[in-house]
Amino acid sequence: MAADIAAAAGNGERVAPPERPLAAFWATFSENKGAVLGLVIVSAIVLLAILADLVAPYHPNEQFRDAVKAPPVWAEGGSWRFVLGTDGLGRDMLSRLIHGARISLFIGVSVMCVSFVLGVAIGLASAHFGGVVDVIITRTMDLIMAVPGLVLAILVVAVLGPSLPNTIVAVTLVSLPRYVRLVRASALAELSKDYVTAARVAGVGPLRLMLATVLPNCLAPLIIQAALGVSDAILEAAALGFLGLGAQPPISEWGTMLADAREFIRSNPWLVTLPGLAILITVISINLLGDGLRDALDPKMRRS
Amino acid sequence: MKSLALAGMSLAALLAGSAALQAKTLVYCSEGSPENFSPALNTTGTSFDAARPIYNKLTEFERGSTKVVPGLAESWTVSEDSKVFTFKLKKGVKFHSVRPQGGVAFTPTRDFNADDVLFAFNRQGDEKHPFHKISGGKYDYYSDMDMPKNVKSVEKVDDYTVRLTLNEPNAPILANLAMDFMAIPSAEYAAALQKAGKLEQFDQVPVGTGPFSFVAYQKDAVIRFKAFEAHTATEKAKVDDLVYAITPDPTARYSKLKAGECHFMAYPRPADLPEMQKDAALKVINQSGLNIAYWAYNVQKPPFDKKEVRQALNYAIDKNAIIRDVYLGAGQAAVNLIPPTMWSYNTAVKGYPFDQAKAKELLAKAGVTTPLDIDLWYMPVQRPYNPNAKRIAEMMQADLAKVGINAKLVTFEWGEYRKRAQQGEHTTAQLGWTGDNGDPDNFFFLRGCSGARPGGQNLTKWCNKDYDDRLIKARGMSNQEARAKLYEEMQVIENEEAPDLKIAHSVVYEVMRKEVEGYKQSPLGDHRFNGVELK
Repeated sequence: MAADIAAAAGNGERVAPPERPLAAFWATFSENKGAVLGLVIVSAIVLLAILADLVAPYHPNEQFRDAVKAPPVWAEGGSWRFVLGTDGLGRDMLSRLIHGARISLFIGVSVMCVSFVLGVAIGLASAHFGGVVDVIITRTMDLIMAVPGLVLAILVVAVLGPSLPNTIVAVTLVSLPRYVRLVRASALAELSKDYVTAARVAGVGPLRLMLATVLPNCLAPLIIQAALGVSDAILEAAALGFLGLGAQPPISEWGTMLADAREFIRSNPWLVTLPGLAILITVISINLLGDGLRDALDPKMRRS
Repeated sequence: MKSLALAGMSLAALLAGSAALQAKTLVYCSEGSPENFSPALNTTGTSFDAARPIYNKLTEFERGSTKVVPGLAESWTVSEDSKVFTFKLKKGVKFHSVRPQGGVAFTPTRDFNADDVLFAFNRQGDEKHPFHKISGGKYDYYSDMDMPKNVKSVEKVDDYTVRLTLNEPNAPILANLAMDFMAIPSAEYAAALQKAGKLEQFDQVPVGTGPFSFVAYQKDAVIRFKAFEAHTATEKAKVDDLVYAITPDPTARYSKLKAGECHFMAYPRPADLPEMQKDAALKVINQSGLNIAYWAYNVQKPPFDKKEVRQALNYAIDKNAIIRDVYLGAGQAAVNLIPPTMWSYNTAVKGYPFDQAKAKELLAKAGVTTPLDIDLWYMPVQRPYNPNAKRIAEMMQADLAKVGINAKLVTFEWGEYRKRAQQGEHTTAQLGWTGDNGDPDNFFFLRGCSGARPGGQNLTKWCNKDYDDRLIKARGMSNQEARAKLYEEMQVIENEEAPDLKIAHSVVYEVMRKEVEGYKQSPLGDHRFNGVELK
């Protein structure tokens, strides 16, 4: 027997050792230049956010009453004291933007984590139990999706009161159905496959079956959804902040900064432009990164 | 056949009309939706502005001043003891007719007379009046001006004579009657609605004798009026139609004004003023406002029951920075409740300088343990006396942090905000006041005891006997010098007790297009469009 196999291997051409999965992933990912750029920018923003206290030149809430609405360094009258200028209360824009990155990313990532975990749990439960449980869960998710996201978020914040944790709750609730539906759909597809039946026959318990056998095979689309979900969450949170329902003053949040600077849109345009640009750049780079992930993880998209 | 001929005729008339004379429409970009159209129920300038074109009062303020002139009353006599006022009413004053969609149509069958005046008083003053409980049934102005206590009786002597008897002499009463809450509606219309069982329509579809009649209202969008040809009581309208385009965002209002979508805008932002003044298509006028922006401490909630704490907060805030950065110079730091241009202003009161060391000392003396947590409420909207309450709140928050006070910024929807603040739910709240009759009493009542009840306009809920006694005494005197003396004493008491921080008196700017002529800026902060022309 052993000799047979050895002989068969010897007869055929030498098979190249399979690529390690991480290397294969990186090879595909790095082909997409936009995705790499996105990754670089996102990493830079994450670093800035983590090191905000060290990097930012000033405390974000310190009001320099002698330099209110100072222009940025490249504009007329600008100085290196405040590189990006100061806002209507004399707070350093650069410091506020850096600390704002911390808030925005925190919201984005925590919304993603919470909805990921909840989405997986609810989605798998729905796929596993089927019947009444499935109907209740899917209809509830349909109900949530039927209400426009921002309106639902405003409703939740109005009930709970405006604050940072409540913003996260509101945005999580809005984005939850997408995860649930995704997990449920891919889990149902996997459940009908032979390897699952084999595992069942082998006597694997339901918890282990769902988490160890089915879930890993549903992960690819989930990871992509999670990456794009971060940018959606940042946008939703900025919108809530713009409406005065997100982070409360004096916390420097990009959406709130944008709203506060609206009145200077004619006289001191950079006050509105800078937080807007910050949101734009962050969201675009996360989206580019997400696209790259999809190309690299989704076998159907992978070039052969 | 007949209808066809009629249609043809009307079309011809329309064509001829448009060729001969284009209908003139004045568009005013206003800042918000009114709560309803009965000024008696309301307390905000927004709602008053919306109802003002429709109504007249017994006495009126001359356009652009605080001088009291005859309105629906032709003349009046005052008894020796200044307790009995007899008003002779104007004759031949017509009411509007309305034809609301899905509502009760009304065409007046009689002219204005004494019954209408009685209706205005009784709806607010008589709890058994059929309209008293309609639309919430709260008459804040009537109560806060102490009318229920003051008015002994209002009688109809004959159709065109009304006798008003007071319990005590009240000097500012003639000016009070010129205020919006004493607008005279049609009693006949009320009776018609009562018969139809649609009492609520009274406050939604208004009928008055004013220069414009009501056409339609869409919440958050538009209010339409048309000139009332038969108007005789005051100045006539000089345009054919008046439209309030409701535009809450000041930047949007400015864009509309620039584009010519409106002729006049409410409350420009200070930041936009330099650019507006440079624009040749626009006209910018200003006047130092008869107003005050204040920050009220709720003295019923500890630790604000202690005088030292209130004084400490007064020392802790840098008012001059607020004037410079939020008012952008268009205002002056306030010391007293009344602006310095008003008679009885006490120049001897010096207020509180910015001195944080002193603030800390006073807080320690009061036994307050820092950090102290307080609420700081700020209005969600721009007001004539306060261009940006949120920004002021953020500056205060930074100043307070330096003396060990953590202020949590809180706000609500505008109507909700005032309701809750008047109930006294806040610990500290910003608000302000625009005088509505030019009399100091109209400012000082804001700290009187009758406004300190839950729901009253005294946001400090401060009730000081020395202050209140003088307030009531001054109200009963007609000698201006003697009144001024009492008011000066009251300013000293109030400054010492510090129930509030007085932020600023603002300069009020009005912006309109060059075509608008004849507009007179009112020191009372209201907007009136009769007598205004489009060139």
